Amino acid sequence: MAKLDIERIRLKVYRFDPETDREARIDTHDVPYVDGMTVLDALFHVLEKIDGSLAFRFSCREGICGACAMFINGSYRLACETQVARVLREGHRELHVMPLPHLPVIKDLVVDMTRFWQNYEAIAPWIVTRTADPEKERLQSPAQRKLIDEYVGCILCGSCFSSCPSVWTGREYLGPNAMMKTYRWVVDSRDDAAVERLGRAGNEKGAWRCHTIFNCTEACPKKINQTSAIQGLKRRTVAAMLRGAR
Amino acid sequence: MYRPVASREVRYADLDLWPFRIKAGMWAWILHRVTGLVIVFYLVLHILVISSVLWGPGTFDATMDALRRPVFAAGELMLVGAGLYHGLNGIRIILFDLGVGIRQQKAFFAGVLALSVVGFAWAAKVFWPLIFG
Ligand code: SF4
Ligand code: FES
Repeated sequence: MAKLDIERIRLKVYRFDPETDREARIDTHDVPYVDGMTVLDALFHVLEKIDGSLAFRFSCREGICGACAMFINGSYRLACETQVARVLREGHRELHVMPLPHLPVIKDLVVDMTRFWQNYEAIAPWIVTRTADPEKERLQSPAQRKLIDEYVGCILCGSCFSSCPSVWTGREYLGPNAMMKTYRWVVDSRDDAAVERLGRAGNEKGAWRCHTIFNCTEACPKKINQTSAIQGLKRRTVAAMLRGAR
Repeated sequence: MYRPVASREVRYADLDLWPFRIKAGMWAWILHRVTGLVIVFYLVLHILVISSVLWGPGTFDATMDALRRPVFAAGELMLVGAGLYHGLNGIRIILFDLGVGIRQQKAFFAGVLALSVVGFAWAAKVFWPLIFG
């Protein structure tokens, strides 16, 4: 990346503490720019040098835990993976950092992900088998593994869930992540619960709530195509019903 | 039961979040909804107009004459546009359901838009004398 000829970068960050504030506010900080710095680095500068009360989530700082998903300059991004230089090169002159939209704010950039996790748990995201455990492991051919390759890359950051108009308007909808994960288990050659999984997903709280808007696909920092998986669920649900499986 | 810890949510309409960059797929969906509403609105209107025949042929003819005005011709042209987009994008969605083109959705949307514009231009040429002539 070419060097940027700037000394400071203006950071606008969303602040709200439901216990004391009645209205949210936007704080503006001028943060020293260091080559290669990320949005998370900028937030750390505020936390350590300017205002210790700023709350945000992070853990791995290398794009694998999914804790730092935020709404940065109009797009869903991982703060730890997003270089300030990259945002500027998109034509922005300041950093705008918001919590994930359409989720309740606990404090500042920290949102309540309860519904996201409950929905994930509801689809039983673990292997279900009907055969005796093998001595060592359940093997998969490379071709079988390829079917789930894309979907195991999910880091459960919640961006897709936060971006989906069907989630905003349907409090019951399990969301793109849970649907994509359902598909991931349905096509997994080692899993034996495909029929139950389809039964759980093939209704208006599940796959049929998806209107192929593709916001989840745009939001995903791991470039996973959830819509493709959800469409796969719809097709399989119809096929199963035609076969009379339900 | 899910109960939020806090009740406040950031919404896209909040200051500074705007402009949320609406991308191809969401435009396609918004346009689909809007054109759908236009078509439903027309359908209701159409049924009302046609049912004027219940009051006899005279009333029906009078209603039809009243509708022979540039403003209604312009409305019909809009209807053609809405129908074109709604139908073409409907095909796009059906293809998704069949598993075709999900990963090329943006190109498909561009195609839908291009065909709609071409069709609309042709319809506009036909309607031109009715509106302005
Ligand atoms: S599918 Fe992508 S956007 Fe959704 S939770 Fe997983 S990594 Fe995040
Ligand atoms: S801190 Fe783990 S993904 Fe950013």
